[in-house]
Amino acid sequence: MLSIENVTKRYEGHTAVDDLSLTIEPGVVYGLLGPNGAGKTTTIRMTMGIIEPDEGKIEIFGEPFSESMKERIGYLPEERGMYRKMKVLDHIIFLAEIKGVPARTAAERAKRWLERVDLAGWEDKPVEALSKGMQQKIQFISTVIHEPQMVILDEPFTGLDPINTQLLKDVIIEMKDEGRTVILSTHLMDQVEKLCERICLINRGRKVLEGGLADIKMRFSKNVVAMRYSGSASELESHPDVEKIGEFGQGLSVTLAEGADPSRMLRYALDHGRVDRFEVGEMSLHDIFIAQVRAKGGELDEENAARGKA
Amino acid sequence: MKKMLLVVRREYLDRVKKKSFLIGTILGPVLMGLLIFAPALLFRLSPETQTSVTVIDLTGKVFEQMKASLSDTLGDGTPKFRFSKYETDEAGLDEAKRMLNFEVENDAIEGYLVIPADIIDSGKASFFGKRIGDIKTLERLESALSNVVIGMRLSSRGLDYSEVKGLVKTVDLETMQVTGKGEEKRGGFDFVFMSSFLFIMLLYMTILMWGVAVERSIIEEKNNRVIEVLLSSLKPEDLLFGKIFGIGAVGLTQYAIWGLFGTIMTAYGLTMGGPVAEFAGNLSFATLGFFILYYLLGFLFYATMFAGIGSVCNTDQEAQQMQTPVVLCLVFTILLPMMVIQRPDSTFATVISLIPFFTPIVMFMRINVLMPPLWQIALSIVLMVLAIRIAGTLAAKIFRTGILMYGKKPDAREILKWLKRA
Repeated sequence: MLSIENVTKRYEGHTAVDDLSLTIEPGVVYGLLGPNGAGKTTTIRMTMGIIEPDEGKIEIFGEPFSESMKERIGYLPEERGMYRKMKVLDHIIFLAEIKGVPARTAAERAKRWLERVDLAGWEDKPVEALSKGMQQKIQFISTVIHEPQMVILDEPFTGLDPINTQLLKDVIIEMKDEGRTVILSTHLMDQVEKLCERICLINRGRKVLEGGLADIKMRFSKNVVAMRYSGSASELESHPDVEKIGEFGQGLSVTLAEGADPSRMLRYALDHGRVDRFEVGEMSLHDIFIAQVRAKGGELDEENAARGKA
Repeated sequence: MKKMLLVVRREYLDRVKKKSFLIGTILGPVLMGLLIFAPALLFRLSPETQTSVTVIDLTGKVFEQMKASLSDTLGDGTPKFRFSKYETDEAGLDEAKRMLNFEVENDAIEGYLVIPADIIDSGKASFFGKRIGDIKTLERLESALSNVVIGMRLSSRGLDYSEVKGLVKTVDLETMQVTGKGEEKRGGFDFVFMSSFLFIMLLYMTILMWGVAVERSIIEEKNNRVIEVLLSSLKPEDLLFGKIFGIGAVGLTQYAIWGLFGTIMTAYGLTMGGPVAEFAGNLSFATLGFFILYYLLGFLFYATMFAGIGSVCNTDQEAQQMQTPVVLCLVFTILLPMMVIQRPDSTFATVISLIPFFTPIVMFMRINVLMPPLWQIALSIVLMVLAIRIAGTLAAKIFRTGILMYGKKPDAREILKWLKRA
């Protein structure tokens, strides 16, 4: 669907994107994650042909970028504005028309979407009469009204209340189910954890980590399992996957051996007693990000890291 | 192309639907016309009232003749001047003046005229009044008095005044403009100048107004951040030229409305007489055609430059500084007609009218005053089109890079780099 190969973009004084490569398969929700200033927006702008990469190549739908592709892509930029004086419906139709959707079709779809996002009845109001959250919903409608194969959302959740955040998440999952590719770019790594199947963590224009979310999670799960177990702790300790066991009043703290599979250990425990609690210590994406940047000896702006957590 | 037309439509409707457009369209030419024709109109329309003048005639001979010769009447037939004679002699003059000053103060009379005893030799008299700015009335008094005095001088030498007057009658030069087709057209210098000037002011006003509108629209779009949304759907060129053409079309609509009024004015104005008829008589379809043509060329050229400026600025204030040279070019152009109108076929006028910066207004002026050779008009159009293409290419390059630059204003060196790169 989208392949970015060794792409570099330099600006006066700094490199925004540094030899970045990634591949996005069709039909997935892909998270492009990293702190502010990591190069996410620059990468997206290059993908949309708004700016040109200095080096490397980008292919969408298996071809180099071309103008006609814009009609098959929906893009919600981080810097998203609206014509404040225009009427809501006219605004949506205009943005749909420049995506190649006939005005009448656009109007029909717009009406359906407005109902869906609880804005029915606002068609003839000027955009400036809407609250910021409402405007954001209109912007989102404009991003998807041409039913694109690929949707790129740059920081889509900023400024949305919990209800609308959930609404947007639902729509994203829906689009995925319809076979569309969704690229989510955000610095709020933990917020999209549950949405993305694949992620790419970037920092200072470089890729830190890429892969399936489940794999990454597994790879970076802490090798500690909290257990409440009726069987014998010393017997369990002799299991090859277990390195050592600490006993606490509430239960056991099992430290796994390197490369161990917690589920194999769980199966063994179930065969030998009753398991009331079994929890693999999980690292949040944000913690993984920081750990990875540190592990690779990369620089990490404390400020950025802090913002990433916010 | 199709997407550009969508931008054209949006920009166009956005402006034409506004009330301010209608108001501007109607008020524009009315204000311009008033500015140009008002002095003349006001002069003609100034309210006429009877003027009371008291005359102290120390010669004792002038008053009656002067009164007789000033038989002007007002619109309703009443005499314009109401004279009264104040009898006094040299010794009582100061006393009389004190008395009459008081009357002037209280607006009992407009003023008083003192005709000294030696007026025949000295040719000097004095008028005392409050509103000595009323040149028309004063000139009338002066000429009447002069005529009487001249008549007296002539008769003292035994000559008949009316005979002499007939002999020294001056020649009236009626100006007729010979147009290209060997026809003659009535119309004075004043008139050609004033009607051309109305058109030129409209050209200047519309080119500047809508050119700056393009610039502001780009800055606005940068500020409200719509631009990135748009760029994900269309090419920057579509957006840039869609804006320019859309806003240009707004100006054309204005011209169409004016053209409609112009036609009505021509139809009715001719029967009205006065300056309106003169103006209407001077209108022709060729004039209107060139008017629209040079608006289009001028607008496209200047709007493209304004667009380039808008692309690199973040606020209207920044843009105002940067646009000054361009605006000065336009302002300079409307100063030229004064020189061009006197010698429309001079080398200076020819050269100036072929420089794209000045062509729209100066060439139009020349066409209005004295039709230049056809090749010069054609050349001016070709040069304009070339200049527009060059300006368009440069503006597109600046636009591409500039519209996504928020915050920092690029310096000249950086802009040059953009121009080289794209």
